[in-house]
Amino acid sequence: MSWTLRPRGLRARLVVAFVLVTVAGATAAAWSSARSASTALVTSNQQRLTASTADQLAAITPELSYPPDQAALDRIRIAVGENTLVTFRGMQSADGAAGLVPGTLRTAVQEQRQMVAQRITAEGKPWLLIGTPIMTTAVNGSRTPSGIEVYSVRDLTAVEQEIDSLTRTAVATSALALLPAVFLALLAARSVLRPVRDLRDTARRLADGDLSARTAPQGADELAALTDTVNEMAASLQDSMVTMQRMQSDARRFAADVSHELRTPLSTLTAVVEVLAGTTAGMEPDARESAELAVTETERLVRLVEDLMEVSRFDAGTAGLRLEETNLADAVRDCLRARNWLDQVDLVAADNVVLRCDRRRLDVIVANLVGNAFRHGEPPVLVRISVTQEEAAVEVTDNGPGLSEMVLPHVFDRFYKADAARTRTPGSGLGLAIALENARLHSGDLTASNNAHGGARFTLLLPRGLEKL
Amino acid sequence: MRTLVALLGVLTLAGCGIQPSGVSDGGEAPTGLATGPTLYFVDASQHLVAQPRQGGRLGTIADAIALLLSGPGGTGKLHTEITAGEVTRTDVAISPGVIEVRLPLTVDDVTSLGIDQLVCTTLAVHIQSGGSRNVKVRLVFTLATPESDRLRTCPLIS
Amino acid sequence: MPAILLIEDDPLVRRGLELALSRHGHDIRAAETGEDGLREFSSATPDLVVLDLMLPGIDGIQVCRRIREAGEVPVIILTARGDDFDVVEGLAAGADDYVIKPVQPTVLDARIRAVLRRSDSAPDGVRVHGELRIDTAALTVTVRDTPVPLTPTELRLLLTVSQSAGQVFSRQQLLEAVWEHDYLGDSRLVDNCVQRLRAKIEQDAAAPRYVQTVRGFGYRFGPL
Repeated sequence: MSWTLRPRGLRARLVVAFVLVTVAGATAAAWSSARSASTALVTSNQQRLTASTADQLAAITPELSYPPDQAALDRIRIAVGENTLVTFRGMQSADGAAGLVPGTLRTAVQEQRQMVAQRITAEGKPWLLIGTPIMTTAVNGSRTPSGIEVYSVRDLTAVEQEIDSLTRTAVATSALALLPAVFLALLAARSVLRPVRDLRDTARRLADGDLSARTAPQGADELAALTDTVNEMAASLQDSMVTMQRMQSDARRFAADVSHELRTPLSTLTAVVEVLAGTTAGMEPDARESAELAVTETERLVRLVEDLMEVSRFDAGTAGLRLEETNLADAVRDCLRARNWLDQVDLVAADNVVLRCDRRRLDVIVANLVGNAFRHGEPPVLVRISVTQEEAAVEVTDNGPGLSEMVLPHVFDRFYKADAARTRTPGSGLGLAIALENARLHSGDLTASNNAHGGARFTLLLPRGLEKL
Repeated sequence: MRTLVALLGVLTLAGCGIQPSGVSDGGEAPTGLATGPTLYFVDASQHLVAQPRQGGRLGTIADAIALLLSGPGGTGKLHTEITAGEVTRTDVAISPGVIEVRLPLTVDDVTSLGIDQLVCTTLAVHIQSGGSRNVKVRLVFTLATPESDRLRTCPLIS
Repeated sequence: MPAILLIEDDPLVRRGLELALSRHGHDIRAAETGEDGLREFSSATPDLVVLDLMLPGIDGIQVCRRIREAGEVPVIILTARGDDFDVVEGLAAGADDYVIKPVQPTVLDARIRAVLRRSDSAPDGVRVHGELRIDTAALTVTVRDTPVPLTPTELRLLLTVSQSAGQVFSRQQLLEAVWEHDYLGDSRLVDNCVQRLRAKIEQDAAAPRYVQTVRGFGYRFGPL
C-alpha cells in the first residue's frame, strides 16, 4: 500500500476513515469470535481425547494381570489406539508416532501422578500428547502408581482444518463488511458534506456579488452556527450596500435636480446678457467690463450646467445613442472646422473610414480632446485616425509636458484639475469624464498615456460593428 | 492509521491454527490394577476379616462374588456365613450411587454377617477399580423379600 | 417685421426672450399658457410661433398640433437637451425646428429667419412634374390643379430637391440648405418634413413619386 497517495478531499477522507473503522471493527469482532470458537474447539477436543483415553484404560485395567507382562502392555497399547507408548519399569510397548513424546511430559506424569496433556507442533502438524500413570487403589481408597505409564499421541490436523475454515469465514465476513461500509460511508459523508457544500455555494455567490444569497441553517451544530454567521454577515453587507447605493443615487438625483432647476434662470440670463452686451457701446469702462464679465460667466455657467446634466444622464442611464453612418475623417474635420482649429491641428486620416456612431457625441469627444491638448499641452497638436478590422482609433497627441504619473490615474475623474496653479481653467472639469462616458456608450474606450518623446496622448477606440440601436 | 493496520495484521495472523501449549492437567489417572480382589470372611470371634487373593488381576465384582461364594479355602481359621449352592453366577448393575447385585441366593441363605461379606466384597472391588467410596449396595435375593430393597454399606469401609 | 408668438410659462424667461428677440427686429407677442397662446394665435395670426413644450394646462405638443391643424404657420419648439422624447413628439406634431434651452437669442433669431425663408433661389418660373406644378415666383404648389398649402419649410424643401431633379441630397445637405443648420443638425427634422410633404403632394405616401428615398444616402426628386 502506498502512503504517498493520501486522500485530499473532505469526502474521501471521511469515507476512508469510516471504512477503516468499520472494517477494523468487523475484523476485530470476527477475529475475536473465531478465536474463542477455535479455543473452545481445541479445549473440547482435548478434553474429549483425554477422557476417552482414560475411559479406554479404565475399561481394560481390571482385566489386566498385575504385575504386567509384555502381552499385557501390548494389550493396553492396542486398547488405547495407534501412536501409543506403554512402559512398565524396563519394559515398553510402542508404535507409530509414539517417539514424539518428550521427556518433560514423562517427568510430569511421574511427578504429578495424574493425567497430563500437552499440545505440540511436529512434522508440520499439530499434535495432542496425553500421558498418564495407571494407579492401583487400595480398599481404603489410597492410590499408588502401578508403574505402568501410558503415552498417547493424537493428531489434531482435523481440528486445525476446522479452525482454519472458521478463520476463513471470519476473514470473508470482514471482507463482506467492506461493501456496506463504503456505501454507508458515502451516505454519511453526503449528509455531513451537503451543508458544507451549500455554504460554499452561498459564499461563492456572495463573492460574485449576489448579496441576497443565503443558506438555510439546518440543525443546531457548529455548521449551523457558522451558517448563521455567514447569513448575518451577508445581511449586514447587503444593508450597507443598499444604504450606500441609496446615498449615491440621492446625490446623483440631487445633482440632476440642481442643474435642471438652474436651467430656467440661465435661460433668462442667456437671453438678456446678449441685450446687455449689445448696449455696452455707450457705457463707462467699468460698466462695460462688468457687462462683458456677466456675458462670459453666463456662457460658462451654461456650459457647466449642460455638462452636469449630461453627466447626470449617464449616471441615470438615460443617455441614448443616435447611430448614423458616419465618415470618421469628415466628422473630425467638421468638428475642427466648426471651432476654427483646422489650421492649428495636423490631421492624419485614412479616408473612407465609415462607421456607425452618434455624431454629436463623437463631436463632443473630439472637441474635448483637442481642446484639452490646446489648453494643457503645446502645439503642434496631432490628430490621427487609423482603422483595423474591428475598430477605429482617433489619437490626439500634443507636444506639451505630458501627464505626470500622479495625474494619469485621475485624468478621467470628475472635476479633477491637473494644474492647480491655473485658476482660470475654462473647462467645466467634466469634459474628459463625459468624453469617456460617451466612448463607453459606443462600447468603445478612451485611454490616456504619454508619448515616448513627451506630450500627452489620448486614444479613442470605437468598434466598427455597431448595429443600429 | 499505520498502527491500526499493523494491529489488524497481527490479530489476523494470531487467529490462525493451533498454538502449542505447555503441560497441563488432564484429570485423574485411571486405576483398576491389582494383584487380586479382596474378599471378606468371618473369623472365629465372628469378626469380618479381609482376605486379599492373589489372582493376578482385579477382575469384576461378579468374579469376586463368585470367589466369595466358593468359600474361604483351606486354612480353617476363617469361615463364611453364606450358604452357597452350586450356582455362583451373579448379575451386577452399576448406576450412579448404587450397585445392584442379583444373587443366586435367598435371604435365608445368609446371616447378617454374610450380607456384610457380600456388601464389603462388592464395594472393595468397586473402589479398587477406581469407583467412589460413597456408593450404596443393594443385594437382590431370588425370593421376594423386603431385604432386597435395602441400600447397604460395609461396616469396614466407610 | 415678422410677427412672432412666444408661448412660455416662466415669466422671466418669457420677458428675457421678448426683450432679446425684439432687439433682433421681431414683433413679439407673448402668452403664458397653451390656452392663452391658442387664443392669441387665432386673434393675432402671427407669422411664426416659438413654443415651449413644458406648459401648464394643455401641453406644448397639443398646442403644436392645433396650430398645424389651423394652417401652415411655422412652429419652433423650445426643449431641454436630453428630452429626446419631446423632440420626437414635437416634430411628429408638425414642428418645423427645435432649439435647446437655454438658447442664445442670436441662435434663435437665425432659426426663425431660416424657417420663415420660403425660397433662397431666384425664381425661374413654373416647374411641372407630372401632376405637380410648382410656381417658383408665386411660391404656390398645385397637384392636379388643386392648390396645396405648404409651410415655408415644406415649400423650401420641395423647391430645393425639385431644382435639380434626379440628384441625391443627403440629409446633411438638406439640413444646411433648408434649415441653415451647422454640421451637427438633427436629421430627424428632414425625415419629418419629408413625411409631411409627401402626405400633401403624393397620391400614395407609402409609394412616393416625387420625393423618393435613397436608402443609406438621403432623398431625391423623381425621376417620374
